[in-house]
Amino acid sequence: MLKSKEQAFHEAIRHKEALIQGFFVLMASFTILGLLLLFVYITREGTVLFKQVSPLEFLFGKDWKPTSGNFGTLPLIVGSVVVTAGAVLISAPLSLLVAIFLAEIAPKKAAAYIKTAIELLAGIPSVVYGFMGIIVLVPIIRSFFGGSGFGIVSGWIVLAIMIMPTITSLSEGALAAVPDRYRYGALALGATKWEMIYKVVLPAAKRGIVSAIILGVGRAIGETMAVLMVLGNVPRLPESINQPIATMTSIIALDIAYASGMHKYALFSLGFVLLLISMAFIAIVRIVYKGSYGKN
Amino acid sequence: MNFKKAAAVVSIMLLIAVAAGCARNAGSNAAKETVLKIAGSTSVFPLVTEIAEEFMKENAGYKVEVQAGGSNVGIESVKNGIVDIGMSSRDLTREELDSGLKPIVIAYDCIAVVVNPSNPVENLTLEQLRDIFAGKIKNWKEVGGLDKEIIVVNRDEASGTREAFHKLVMGDVDFRNDAIIQPGTGQVKSFVASTPEAISYITLGVVDSSVKAIKIDGVEPSLETVKDASYKIQRKLYLVTKGEPKGLAATFIDYCLSDKIQEGIVKKHYIPVKYVEK
Amino acid sequence: MYRWRKFINNFFIGLTWIASLVVAAVLTYIILYIAAKGVSYVNWGFITGWPKGFEARGGIFPIIVTTFYLTIFSALLVTPVAVGGAVYLTEYSHPASRFSRIIRFAADTLSTVPSIVYGIFGFAFFVVYLGFGWSMLSGSLTLALMILPLVLRSTEEAILDVPRGYREASYALGATKWQTVSRVVLKAAAPRIVTGIILGMGRAFGETAAVMLTAGMAINLPVSVFDGGRNMSSHLYLLATEGISLEAAFGTAFLLLMIILIFNLSAKRIAKRM
Repeated sequence: MLKSKEQAFHEAIRHKEALIQGFFVLMASFTILGLLLLFVYITREGTVLFKQVSPLEFLFGKDWKPTSGNFGTLPLIVGSVVVTAGAVLISAPLSLLVAIFLAEIAPKKAAAYIKTAIELLAGIPSVVYGFMGIIVLVPIIRSFFGGSGFGIVSGWIVLAIMIMPTITSLSEGALAAVPDRYRYGALALGATKWEMIYKVVLPAAKRGIVSAIILGVGRAIGETMAVLMVLGNVPRLPESINQPIATMTSIIALDIAYASGMHKYALFSLGFVLLLISMAFIAIVRIVYKGSYGKN
Repeated sequence: MNFKKAAAVVSIMLLIAVAAGCARNAGSNAAKETVLKIAGSTSVFPLVTEIAEEFMKENAGYKVEVQAGGSNVGIESVKNGIVDIGMSSRDLTREELDSGLKPIVIAYDCIAVVVNPSNPVENLTLEQLRDIFAGKIKNWKEVGGLDKEIIVVNRDEASGTREAFHKLVMGDVDFRNDAIIQPGTGQVKSFVASTPEAISYITLGVVDSSVKAIKIDGVEPSLETVKDASYKIQRKLYLVTKGEPKGLAATFIDYCLSDKIQEGIVKKHYIPVKYVEK
Repeated sequence: MYRWRKFINNFFIGLTWIASLVVAAVLTYIILYIAAKGVSYVNWGFITGWPKGFEARGGIFPIIVTTFYLTIFSALLVTPVAVGGAVYLTEYSHPASRFSRIIRFAADTLSTVPSIVYGIFGFAFFVVYLGFGWSMLSGSLTLALMILPLVLRSTEEAILDVPRGYREASYALGATKWQTVSRVVLKAAAPRIVTGIILGMGRAFGETAAVMLTAGMAINLPVSVFDGGRNMSSHLYLLATEGISLEAAFGTAFLLLMIILIFNLSAKRIAKRM
């Protein structure tokens, strides 16, 4: 059956459209391919070690001496946890205060300046933070606390500054999303501005703020360069806060280029653990944000 | 998504995988002839970088890419084929030699024990040195210095210098496990230069006025004391290749061993091979 | 009773002012400190000169070139994938379909992976397994993967913000889907898409860990994609921890900071044109 010219024309367009759609599907698939490759590779290299060393020994062993066959990563995990926890404890209240300032209190011009400042801080590479840490912060810590200045306290401060833009901007978004009628309602009932913020707006924005803090934690755990430069890199369980310490990320960075054999696999296992932690964070944030998907 | 689309996507991905495989072979051959990649010991790095600069000046059209990272990085990378030559400041192990790696000595080197210039200590015995690094001696006053806690700085585990120091000084004794770790020769030097209570070890080749090299058992590290073996903490510096050196790698290694270069390294406090192996 | 409440009110509001001033002060301090120490070292000779000797005094020309090479190459690699993927998610797919949920999950997960994990992946896969070695290719591929979620998300948001009316009008005029997407939607979303790409480039520009592991650390002027090189952040890291040539370190930090600030400010400028 012969096609009319019109039919042929429409068919050609359909073909072209199908091809174009196929192209976009392919591009989208690359995203999945990327994650798949990453996941498969890290998992493959990361689980080799567990044939020889049990996961429990790996996660809870206290001795990290890879060249003598000890792969206990507890000091590193504790290191990551301690450094992250301190940084978040310092940064979260501060960031929240700034977010409140931006969303509720600041006059337009001041808000614009501070917002720009936050964005610029977010763009500064971690090496620069580490560099400032070495040059400015470490000597200060050394003179106040003694020792070498490299250690947990320096890590806390540098990391706190680094995750602040993340927590601030996301919290500010959450606060700005609270409908104005909540505010007017509170004020109409005679609340002071702060009471309105504290008792009405903050609770309403709770979910967003918690997600912001969780993402800040995720960023802190994954940070490598800045902590590498100021922590002193001693893979040992800390006994005081004025001590050098190492994190999972910094050990990987230090050792990966030369590690061979089981040592190399141990580093990939650490990377595997970090990957699992990242995925867990996404899952947690999604659960917290169950109502508003895609709002990020 | 229906079957046709899925099939199309999968087949395109397979195509890409094949292309990647071809690219892999292309990559291994591309530019192999005119680009030399070297990586490894932070102790050998200063030496080889300057030799490479001279080499490139005299041989326009050739590129030598040199990077540090530590002896183990060099050995591991040359084993994996990522670089053509690895730099090592320690002897190769039995397994490394068995896997086909060939080390060539290009210089001798003193490991200088350095302290901050403000430190009054001038000399340590080998036993004292060992005890300090093992954590048995913890205060400078125990070795004739000020009443200050000793801050021991160790190299990272990629370091051939650390290996060599361990072998030559510590023997069977372990390093104290709370020493500060610095990941390179330069880092160690700058730490010691800025920390009055610090002590560490670096190649003599980078010692300058920012740190003070102390005597060991009364012997100062220098060309002469290496030759007559009175300075005990000395070692060989190697360029390592996988199998016999070929092509550009061989040319470069020969260049390093040429008389002109070997005489030049004396200025940098590295010791020429012929000087020792007369 | 009211006076106490007023006091609390003023106290906490005052705290927020102080917090914000602290933030502004920190930023200003960082920029001014680096500028003060670095600006004297940055002159034309620094930018076009080569590092001398193993201590890398002198210029940083090859390092600047390496940084731009990696950034631009990774942008070229990531743009088709990110924009294409975003277009698929917003225009061609049903938002609740299995496939798009998987893509979103993949993008979200990729965005939280630490840069060091990208680094070891890039090292194990591109450098060793595929045999690319420490090269611009390995580095850019790794960087592209790293900034993919960022560019994907911002492109998605840019496209979603295009009013439905634009599309409907286009279809009403008889345009095909592709014509609508390319001539109407993408055109309208273009400024913000470009912003996203520029922000991604800014991120790639300052990356250290992943680049050191995949492009190597040798100082080199890269020509072919198989050449290795050192980028500005890695150079700063190495100079900073060695402490030998602090002037060069400050000069590098200053340049790095300035270029990234320019990236961010121009991204904002372009977004404003939306």
